[in-house]
Amino acid sequence: MSKAKTLAPQPKLSWGQWFKELGWRHLIGVLVIIYCAVPLAYVLSASLKKNANLTGSNKLFQEVSFANYARLSETDYWHWILNSLFISSFTAVGTVLMASAAAYAFSRYRFRGREATLTFLLLVQMFPQMLAFVALFLLLLALKDVFPVLGLNSQIGLICVYLGGALGSNTFLMYGFFKTVPKELDEAARIDGASHAQIFWGIIMRLVTPVLAVVGLLSFISSFGDFVIAKVVLQTPDKFTLAVGMYNWAADSRTAPWGLFAAGAVVAAVPVIILFQFLQRYIVSGLTAGGVKG
Amino acid sequence: MDQSTVKTKRFDRFDLSWGFWVKVALMALINALGVYGLLAAWAAESYLTLAVVLVTLIIADVIYFSRRFIPAKYLFPGLAFLLVYQVFVMGYTGFVSFTNYGTGHNSTKADAITQILAQHQKRVPGSPTINTTVVEKNDKLSLAIWDAEKKAVLVGNMQHPLTLVEGAKANDKAITEVPGYQVLKFADLVKRQQEVAGLKAPLTDDPNDGFYVTTDGTKGFLAKSDFRYDEEKDELLDTTNNVVYQPNGEGAFADPEGNTIMPGWRVPVGFANYTNMAHGSDLAWPFFNALVWSFIFAIFSVVSTFAFGLLLALVFHDKRIRGRKIYQSLFILPYAFPAFLSTLVWKGMLNTKFGFINEVLLGGAEIPWLTNGTLAKVSILGVNLWLGFPYMFLICLGALQALPEDIMEAAKIDGAGPIRTLFSVKLPLILVSTMPLLIASFAFNFNNFSLIYMLTGGGPNYPGASLPVGETDILISMVYKIAFEGGSQNYGLASALSILIFLVVGVISYFGLKRSNAMGED
Amino acid sequence: MRRGISIAAISALALTMAACGSSDEAKEDTQQPAPAQSAEGDGSAVAGELTIWADDTRSSQVAELSKDFTDKFGVKVNVVQKSESDMDKEFISQVPTGKGPDLIVLAHDRLGSLVSNGVVGTVDIADKAKDFSEAALSGVTYQGQTYGVPYAIENVALVRNNQLSKAEPKSFDEMLAAGKEANVEYPFIVQMGDKGDPYHFYGFQTSFGAPVFKQDDKGSYTTELTLGGEKGEAFADWLAKKGNEKVFDPAITGEIAKQAFLDGKAAFTVTGPWNVSAFREANMDITVLPIPAAGPEAAQPFVGVQGFFPSAKTENQLLVNKFLVDYLATEEAQQKMYDLGKRVPAMPAVAAKISDPDIQGFSEAGKSGAPMPAIPEMSAVWDFWGITEVDVVTGKQQPKEAWSTMVTNIENAIKK
Repeated sequence: MSKAKTLAPQPKLSWGQWFKELGWRHLIGVLVIIYCAVPLAYVLSASLKKNANLTGSNKLFQEVSFANYARLSETDYWHWILNSLFISSFTAVGTVLMASAAAYAFSRYRFRGREATLTFLLLVQMFPQMLAFVALFLLLLALKDVFPVLGLNSQIGLICVYLGGALGSNTFLMYGFFKTVPKELDEAARIDGASHAQIFWGIIMRLVTPVLAVVGLLSFISSFGDFVIAKVVLQTPDKFTLAVGMYNWAADSRTAPWGLFAAGAVVAAVPVIILFQFLQRYIVSGLTAGGVKG
Repeated sequence: MDQSTVKTKRFDRFDLSWGFWVKVALMALINALGVYGLLAAWAAESYLTLAVVLVTLIIADVIYFSRRFIPAKYLFPGLAFLLVYQVFVMGYTGFVSFTNYGTGHNSTKADAITQILAQHQKRVPGSPTINTTVVEKNDKLSLAIWDAEKKAVLVGNMQHPLTLVEGAKANDKAITEVPGYQVLKFADLVKRQQEVAGLKAPLTDDPNDGFYVTTDGTKGFLAKSDFRYDEEKDELLDTTNNVVYQPNGEGAFADPEGNTIMPGWRVPVGFANYTNMAHGSDLAWPFFNALVWSFIFAIFSVVSTFAFGLLLALVFHDKRIRGRKIYQSLFILPYAFPAFLSTLVWKGMLNTKFGFINEVLLGGAEIPWLTNGTLAKVSILGVNLWLGFPYMFLICLGALQALPEDIMEAAKIDGAGPIRTLFSVKLPLILVSTMPLLIASFAFNFNNFSLIYMLTGGGPNYPGASLPVGETDILISMVYKIAFEGGSQNYGLASALSILIFLVVGVISYFGLKRSNAMGED
Repeated sequence: MRRGISIAAISALALTMAACGSSDEAKEDTQQPAPAQSAEGDGSAVAGELTIWADDTRSSQVAELSKDFTDKFGVKVNVVQKSESDMDKEFISQVPTGKGPDLIVLAHDRLGSLVSNGVVGTVDIADKAKDFSEAALSGVTYQGQTYGVPYAIENVALVRNNQLSKAEPKSFDEMLAAGKEANVEYPFIVQMGDKGDPYHFYGFQTSFGAPVFKQDDKGSYTTELTLGGEKGEAFADWLAKKGNEKVFDPAITGEIAKQAFLDGKAAFTVTGPWNVSAFREANMDITVLPIPAAGPEAAQPFVGVQGFFPSAKTENQLLVNKFLVDYLATEEAQQKMYDLGKRVPAMPAVAAKISDPDIQGFSEAGKSGAPMPAIPEMSAVWDFWGITEVDVVTGKQQPKEAWSTMVTNIENAIKK
């Protein structure tokens, strides 16, 4: 907020001008927020209701009770959220490092098999993962005999599985961005005798912060919300991630505790929003663009 | 140590900086880990793992200790993970597609035989539970039983039918001493559970007379098996009616008339899973419908989420907007909630009679959002737009950052209006950098099983159709229904269908990518 | 600085290594034998432990029950929480690797598929057989062999809101009439959903004399379909008629039916014991009654049997037997499972001690019930069955034609 204000020192606009320049944007913003928020208001309302449903509880916020939130402590919920934060943070950091390294190689070097590798990366993610659980189980079983810490029911094993998907679209996202950093910059550095590692860390990585933040966030969110892979890998409730635990709550629709579920989901959204708040200034800062020009 | 392509004297002597030590430390760790892995794999006799670890380790050392292979230094970690965790999964699916893996054929032949014998081994009707104990002699286990009639203890195992042992001590509760044998305690039994559980003490030389088995070591009963397996002839004999069952080549034992007994085992079936699909004529038109709808769904989802996300990114890219950060934070809210929860909520809100949309927003209209074919498709696209636009919004926000401002300024100077600038300058640039992502998003949606499954379950169904497939089934959800819900789980068929879908999407994406020239020179 | 050091790449690998630093993860490994523990008084140590899979609802109950087992026998039990909807699939794919659990807690209708996949082991409970009700035993028996130990029976029944009606209807029409007298939004409500709910509707269907599969003289299901024919079509006609009268509606999902009943908007509903605690928490005065017949014969709801089933490849066969036969098949353990889960016990001796009128009501309603078929063919039936019911109720299809098409489709699906 404060930054937006300081960055926008502008002469007073007349109302008409203001609307033409900015006002309509607010209008769109409000409409989109309504579109975003209706289902979420519904979830929030359900989370505040003792015996909540996901269908038919149409009178929103009739009852405001924090019983569901209190009940979260009776479950392993807080434990799960810590697990999720641990797993997703490491996955996000790992993904950013691996994908940016790969994008650096693709954008700065011409090597044999370059295009083939890029194509391969793209095609691998086209594979429908629906049957993955059988193969994944066997793989982790085999790994467990050798590296127990990477095997079944290990959170680090799960991080490794997620890192297996780190390249994919993230590399492309970064690659597109890396290409916009002028080559003259690293060529100049190279002439000065900088090594490729120095160029990577000292020049490129600083200039591409927005995309690093975007990839980190995307990776964090996708591992935070994944339950398909996580539920194969993690077997005991003390290891579960939030998504697995909550998926189990919802699995038996006859007895699913929807109120608890809604409360859990509302709390689960908080880390993501905080992370976005934190990363936002990197994502939308104009500073990097200036850096490139300079 | 490796060198960059251009080197100058000025940088050449900077040895042993912290970066070097980090590298040495990490490589030492990797090697230690690798050697540990080799030893562990050797000990565990998992030679395939051993080979993989060895190759990976050698490659890692070559790449990082050599002065060449600079791109490989950056690609190796990601590719290593990719190969282990993704390519293996693909390869395994490909392998499964050539087998009959599925209900009734999900293990080995040995397992199947053991299981058939176990399933047909029953207590002889009316035979009482008696006291038993497990005894050991020369490390071989035998079962000792208390014969209440003879008031004596008999000992036997598979090699030696039950024989009387004189001088054994026993009371009503247990057999406590058997001369010549050591009586095992429960704790010892637990250590050799599988041996004990398989322990059989036949009454006579003829196994058809029955044999004693024990449930927990201390209790046992007389059992009989209706089936016998002849290892030499590789056939199963049903002793109740003397019917002989032989392997039928399709992974099951069958009698001469072709009746099989379950479970069977996994066998390779060649291309049968692929060719069977072509023959199933009742699959043809639902398959075609699902194919068309998969494309519409995937393409429209990508276009709509991208257009919406881009629009928002453009509108809120302006730094003068007050509360821009708040807007942006709220826009990603749909993305912050776990997608399966949002889908369930939407399903509830779209309920014909009781849904929030009909009852509250539309004042009691009973619009069949999810139960009318066309409306269900519209609803799915609407929900997917809601779920997906924040992703595109984030990406476009990032992509807009990357636009070189000099080009924008140049456009302005040339007198291009904002709309023209958008379409002829910004959009093409953004498309170049996001095209691979759009293709990835297309593939993701093409296989977006969970959305369809949770929102409509593929319904509404075609009335009276011979397959329980519906109007909103995309290919992947149809595969799921055919392979897993039609009474059995057919992993072989599902794998074959997955491979086919992969080929279809892969080819389309490949050409899409070629055209976009996203991989080419910059 | 030294050149050629791709720190990014290496730091990524470092993640893996950080992983290996925490070797305590490995120690928590559930498959490894636990350290020796003292057992049953004889001072000797017992190695080994059991792993049990249970769904979200039951895992805490099973964990509680297992504590007693551990106290008694000194054998540690790990309870693994699995998702209800796909634990059987995972069981089928994991047991052959030899690394699955030792036991799984399931409803018996999935037994047939476990047996034909060869993943479930046998149990001899001949000595304890007399302690269990016949229905419970038949649930864990498949083709003459026993594969598990039951602990509870579950079925739906008619639940009445006592404030709205006092009637004890014998027929569906009586019930509707009594419900109408109450003058509420729904004289009767039952969940359906857009995929249909043949499970909740089964009592009505059987009252027309059209059970899903034929039972042989021992009560085992054969694969011969009997839900069609004149009797089945009579049921379809009735469905169409009641659908037209808006008694049934696919828009009514489980949640909506439950909520409407909770809100006092419905006089009667058909539901199972899983909803009773919610009704009680809302201080409702309810009575559980047998399902009223809609046709000429008695209404037989499906009866499901909850049980513990051993893995075919357990490495702890003796402990499994100890758990199942020496522990679970005792009155004490069965009583405990009742206290924890509030389902009709599988042992009549335990059931006799129950004073809870609602559970007794469900027990009474289940007495006339028919066991859920456990044969794998059953899974070919559900989809067609439910969808056809929806189409008939909404009038999308003509009842008679729809029903006979459905039977043909199911027959073809079974043959495949």
